[in-house]
Amino acid sequence: MAKIQGVYKIIANQKLSSKFFKLSIEAKSFRGKIQPGQFVHVKINDRLDPFFRRPFCIHRVKRNLEILYEVVGRGTEELSQKKKSEHLNILGPLGNGFTLPSRNIQQVVMIAGGIGVAPFLALTDILRKRKIRLVLLYGGRTKEYVFNMKAFKDNGCQIFISTDDGSYGVKGRVSGLFKKIRLDKSTYFYACGPKPMIKTVQEFSKENNIEGQASLEEIMACGVGTCLGCSIKTRQGYKTVCHDGPVFDLKDIVFEK
Amino acid sequence: MKLSVNIGSVQFKNPVTVASGTFSYIQKYSSIADLKKLGAIIPKTVTLNPREGNPSPRIVETPSGMVNAIGIENAGADCFINGKLKELKKIGAPIIASVSAHTDKDFLVLTEKFNKAGVSALELNLSCPNLKHKTLVAQDKNATYCIVKAVVRKACMPIVAKLTPNVTDISLIAQAAQDAGASAVSLVNTFSAMVIDVNKRRSKLGNVTGGLSGPAIRPIALYMVYQTAQRIKIPIIAMGGITNSSDALEFIMAGATMVAVGTASFVNPQAPRDVLEGIKKYMQKNKIKDIKELIGVMK
Repeated sequence: MAKIQGVYKIIANQKLSSKFFKLSIEAKSFRGKIQPGQFVHVKINDRLDPFFRRPFCIHRVKRNLEILYEVVGRGTEELSQKKKSEHLNILGPLGNGFTLPSRNIQQVVMIAGGIGVAPFLALTDILRKRKIRLVLLYGGRTKEYVFNMKAFKDNGCQIFISTDDGSYGVKGRVSGLFKKIRLDKSTYFYACGPKPMIKTVQEFSKENNIEGQASLEEIMACGVGTCLGCSIKTRQGYKTVCHDGPVFDLKDIVFEK
Repeated sequence: MKLSVNIGSVQFKNPVTVASGTFSYIQKYSSIADLKKLGAIIPKTVTLNPREGNPSPRIVETPSGMVNAIGIENAGADCFINGKLKELKKIGAPIIASVSAHTDKDFLVLTEKFNKAGVSALELNLSCPNLKHKTLVAQDKNATYCIVKAVVRKACMPIVAKLTPNVTDISLIAQAAQDAGASAVSLVNTFSAMVIDVNKRRSKLGNVTGGLSGPAIRPIALYMVYQTAQRIKIPIIAMGGITNSSDALEFIMAGATMVAVGTASFVNPQAPRDVLEGIKKYMQKNKIKDIKELIGVMK
């Protein structure tokens, strides 16, 4: 579909936890046009610094376009200061999102590390209509990374949470939650989070012969496949995360050291 | 209002183009940029054989710019000529193809291929290691002279030599390109640069080092264009951090005949169009009838 560059009004910029914010943008033009897993490329200000746009995957599109983000650097820090009624220049929707599982899939397991949980709400907005089992395994560093997941519950997700330090839920990495899943042939995986986590999911899915997809994150400049700056290694050679991805078949991702 | 400029025998309808490696193919930008209006399109550099490119990370954001080490990832000249070039031609703007090679022989093979490809001009990306001369070609005036001379002899279209700024005096290299018969020079390519992650104690680039581009380099690039314009007579295609028409006009006033928008397109895909529209507005406002009145007009 056509890529839209436009200036959009901020409806709300809420703090969800000490780490996460939810930005809502008035974006009628996005309604009905996004694929879960796609992203938008946001210019934080009109100045030359920070220079790049910042890519954020789409959390949800209902009345507004929602972005769930974590403050990690100068760009997101500045974004977190934005107020209602301010404007943002946004390019999108960009990239290839999640492909929906085949009709014989009875259980979808979403594995999220930290802010990697963001694209899964839009995915469950679609999958909820299928009357299949939806499971979300969420791993955060500490309880500060845990936020109200009511929207996921409302979509029928069964949620399991871990934190690295045990300050909330099960202590340890999200992979420690794998044993909570009842695996069978009709299970399908979606993963989004840091690379080591995706690697663990890839290994686990291979051992158990389960198909899946993963959404990857990379530093991006153009966001449209031009600069080739965000390329990652795949079994088919280098692919751009922004244009060929950000969603890839789990099997295809090659992890470089 | 007359906007057209010439490179050798070829006329371009206006002076605004895009820097190699920063322009995407039609299917990606067509909906957001009015590409047909551009004076020319310079696509990403191609090499004789496909190149996989450098390991990631390939880019780092820096103050008002970026450092990249992409590694000229491309599918090779034949694949380009039979595929992407055909798509690019459909846009309707003239194409200045960009090529690079490690040897004189490969440059000549590429020239022959592009002689038959129907492009308006050929840009030689001379910021590549030269096996014979053991430096980057464009860091050595003799190497530059030899390669440009050999290519010009074989070529059916104007030849543009793209120069690296990583030299003591870029105008001397430009002079060598002119003496060898180049129709134009384009400058500047990126400045050698690097960024270190202090927590990991290693480079933020998979390739360790890369090249700096973006507004951060603009005043230095401008100086180099100015310096070169004092020495040579052939046209200069200027690039280096141009984000708007005011930036572009600085380069034109310093002596550039054409201006290329590069890294700015990564942030604003409409930057080339904005630059063109802004130049037109400036000319209207200042009652300039011909863009040539502005070239090198700096007092």
